[in-house]
Amino acid sequence: MIAREVAWRVFAGEYNSSRLEIKGEGERAPSYVVSPLGAMINRVFIVGVLTDRENLGTEEEPLWRARVSDPTGTFYVSSGQYQPEATAALSKIDPPAFVAVVGKTRTYSPEEGTMYVSVRPEKVTVVDARMRDHWVLETCKSTLKRIDAIGAATEMEAPNLEELVRLGYPRALADGVVRSLSHYTDRDLGRYRGMVVDSLKFLLPEYQGEAEGEMPERLAESAEEIEDDEKEAKAEEDKEEKVLATITALDRSGKGASWDEVVDEVKKAGIDKTELEEITNSLMDKGMIYEPVLGKMKRI
Amino acid sequence: MEKEELAPHVAEISRVLGNKVDEKDIWKEMETYLNLYRVSLETAKRSVVRKLGGDPNALTKGVRKQLNDLTPAEQSVDVLVKVLSVNRKEIETSGETRQILYGIVADETGTMPYTAWDAERFQMNRGEAVLIRNAYTKEWNGSSQLNLGTRATIEQEEPDSVRLPEGMDAPSGPSICKVAELQEGMNNVHIVIKVLSVEQRKLETPNGPKTVFSGMAADETGKVQYSAWHDFGLKKDDVISIHGAYVKSWRGIPQLNFGERAEVARTKAPALAEADLAKPKLRSLDEMERVGGAVDVLVSGIVVDIKKGSGLIFRCPQCNRLVQKGLCRLHAKVEGQPDLRIKAVVDDGFGALTAVMNRDITEALVGVRLDEALKEAKEAMNPEIAREQIEQRLFAKALEVRGNVTSDEYGLMMIVTEARILVPEVRAEASALLSELEASQ
Repeated sequence: MIAREVAWRVFAGEYNSSRLEIKGEGERAPSYVVSPLGAMINRVFIVGVLTDRENLGTEEEPLWRARVSDPTGTFYVSSGQYQPEATAALSKIDPPAFVAVVGKTRTYSPEEGTMYVSVRPEKVTVVDARMRDHWVLETCKSTLKRIDAIGAATEMEAPNLEELVRLGYPRALADGVVRSLSHYTDRDLGRYRGMVVDSLKFLLPEYQGEAEGEMPERLAESAEEIEDDEKEAKAEEDKEEKVLATITALDRSGKGASWDEVVDEVKKAGIDKTELEEITNSLMDKGMIYEPVLGKMKRI
Repeated sequence: MEKEELAPHVAEISRVLGNKVDEKDIWKEMETYLNLYRVSLETAKRSVVRKLGGDPNALTKGVRKQLNDLTPAEQSVDVLVKVLSVNRKEIETSGETRQILYGIVADETGTMPYTAWDAERFQMNRGEAVLIRNAYTKEWNGSSQLNLGTRATIEQEEPDSVRLPEGMDAPSGPSICKVAELQEGMNNVHIVIKVLSVEQRKLETPNGPKTVFSGMAADETGKVQYSAWHDFGLKKDDVISIHGAYVKSWRGIPQLNFGERAEVARTKAPALAEADLAKPKLRSLDEMERVGGAVDVLVSGIVVDIKKGSGLIFRCPQCNRLVQKGLCRLHAKVEGQPDLRIKAVVDDGFGALTAVMNRDITEALVGVRLDEALKEAKEAMNPEIAREQIEQRLFAKALEVRGNVTSDEYGLMMIVTEARILVPEVRAEASALLSELEASQ
C-alpha cells in the first residue's frame, strides 16, 4: 500500500512530549514520531491560534518560524522555500489569527537522548473560532481513544498489535501503542486525561475563566487540599480576569496595552510585578493574550 | 489403503511383537483384514497383533490432550471437542474425487481448524460434542490444524461433555456476522440480512448455463451486494439467515456470496424487517480501511487536501478521459469538453479517503458554475482559478460524503453521490463528554 498518511489530531501537550522517532528505511519509506499515547504521526492536522511568526531567512530564501497554540501548549511550525504554498500563505497571515495547518512531523536532536519536534506545513489557512473549537473537541476524542488503547494494552500479558486491532482499535494506533509501551516508561495517563478535561472546559462558557489547574497532581491529593487548591484557583482566576480586563481597557490604540501601564494599574488590585508575570505567562499559554511587540500585551 | 499410510502401523505392530515376526507377514495379514474383510484400521491392528501372539493393549493409544496443548506435530492424539462448523469439499487425489469435511472445533481452551479426510466415515454435525481419537496435527498457514486421517475414529459424546467459554459456545455455528464486518476472504459466514433487491442473470460457466440471483441486501450496520449461486426463491424484503456464505471482492468492494451448499432460511427478525435500511449509517474511515470498501456508506472527516486534477478540467469528447495539454491519451489531439470536479482528501484522524465529486456536486457544494469558471479562467489566463476557489471553500472544513467506497494500492476512494459541509455542534457534545469523564473518575 502506498496509501496516504492519515493526519493525526494531537494536542501540542502530547505532541511536544514525543521522544521516539521511527525512521523509514529505504528511499520513500515514511518516518514517524510516536507520541507517549501511541499516536504514530507522519502527518498532523492542527487548528489553533497563530500567535507570532517571523522570517528567519531572507526575502529570496524565506524561513518562517511560527507558533500555533492550543489549550494545552504551543506547536512550533517552520516553513521554508521548499514549502512554497505554505510559506506564501504564512507570510500573509497577520497574527493573531485562527489557523488550520496540515503538515509533516519534523524532529531535531541536538544531542543523544534529546529530541524536539516541530511541524513542517503543507497547507496553512485562516479559519474561524468555530473550526478551532471543533478541532479541540475532535482532538479530545482522539486523545481519549489513545488513552483507552494504552490502558487496554497495559492490561495485556504481552501487548500486541493484532490483539488491539481485534478490540477495535485502528491498526496505525495499535502499532503506535505497542511501540510506545516499550519506549515510554514514565507516562502519566492522568496528565493526558487532565488535558482532555481542561480542553473540554475550554469549550464550555460555564467554565470560561476557570484556571486550568494541574488536574493530575490535584487528583493525587487529599480532599482538603483539593478544597484549598480550589479556593486558590478561584482567587487566581479572579486575578487573571482582572489582568485580562486591564489589558483590554488599556489597549486604546488596538496595538496592545503597554506593559508599564498594566503593572501600575494592577498594583491597585494588589498584584505585584512577579505575580503579574506569572499571570500573563499563564494567559499566554492558554492562548488568551500575546505579545505583538516587546513591552505590549494584547488580547486574542 | 496406500502402502505409505500403512507402513507406520506395520512398524508399530512389529514393535509390539518384539520384532520377532517378519514384517512381510504383518503386511500380508493387515492387507487381508483391511482389503478383504474391510474392518477398521484399529480392529485390524488389534486382530493382527492378537493373531500373531502379541498383546493388543500394547498398541499405542492416542494421548488425550486439550486443543491449547497441541503442538503442530502430534502423531496421534485424542481430543474431546465441540464441532463449531462443518463444510464439505470435493478434492481430487490421484485422479479420484472424494468428499472431505473441514471446519472448526473447540474445547474450553480454544478453537482449531480441522480436516476430516473422509466425509463418509466421519459424521460431524454442527453443535455436537465428539471424541476424536488418533488424530494428528500439521501446521497450515502458520497455525496448527487437526487432521482426521485413516487411523482416526470418532465417537459421539453427550452435548454437555464439552463446556466452552462464554461467547464461544455456538451450537448454531459461528457467531452472527454483521454486514459492516464483511471483508475479502471471509468464509463460512453466518449472517442475517434483509433483501433490498433481486435480479436474475444467466451466466455461461464451464459446467453449462447458470442463473445467478444478485442484488442489494442490508442489516442495521450497512449495505452489501450479494450473489446467490442457487435459486433460494429470494424476494425483495425477505429477511433471511444464511449459514456458509463467503466474501469476495468485486471491483474493489467486498461482496457476499452463497451457493447451494449454504443453508438459507427465512427468519423472523421484526427489527430488521421493519427497519428503514435505505439511508446509510455513518461509519469511520479506519473501519473502511479494515474492510477494504463497501457500498453506499456515509463517512465524514476534514478536507485536508484538494488534489491536482480538481477544478476545471477538459475531457475527451470520444472517451471522456482527461485531456492534458490538448491531448487525449487514446485519441491524441482533441477538442476537450470542459467539466468540473473535485478530488478531495477527507480525513477523520484515523483514516483517509479520496472523495471524487462530479460537476453537479461540485457546483452545489462550492457555488461555482461551469460556465462562470470557464469565463474566469479565460479572463485570468489561469486554469487553476476554479481549483483555488474550491480549496478556499473546502479546505479544513468538515465534510460528510455518501457513496460507494473502493480500495486499491493507493488507498480508499469514494465516488460521491451526496456531499454536505457540516456545521459542527461543539458545545453539547463537549458538555456530554465532560460529564461522562467526570462520572468515570
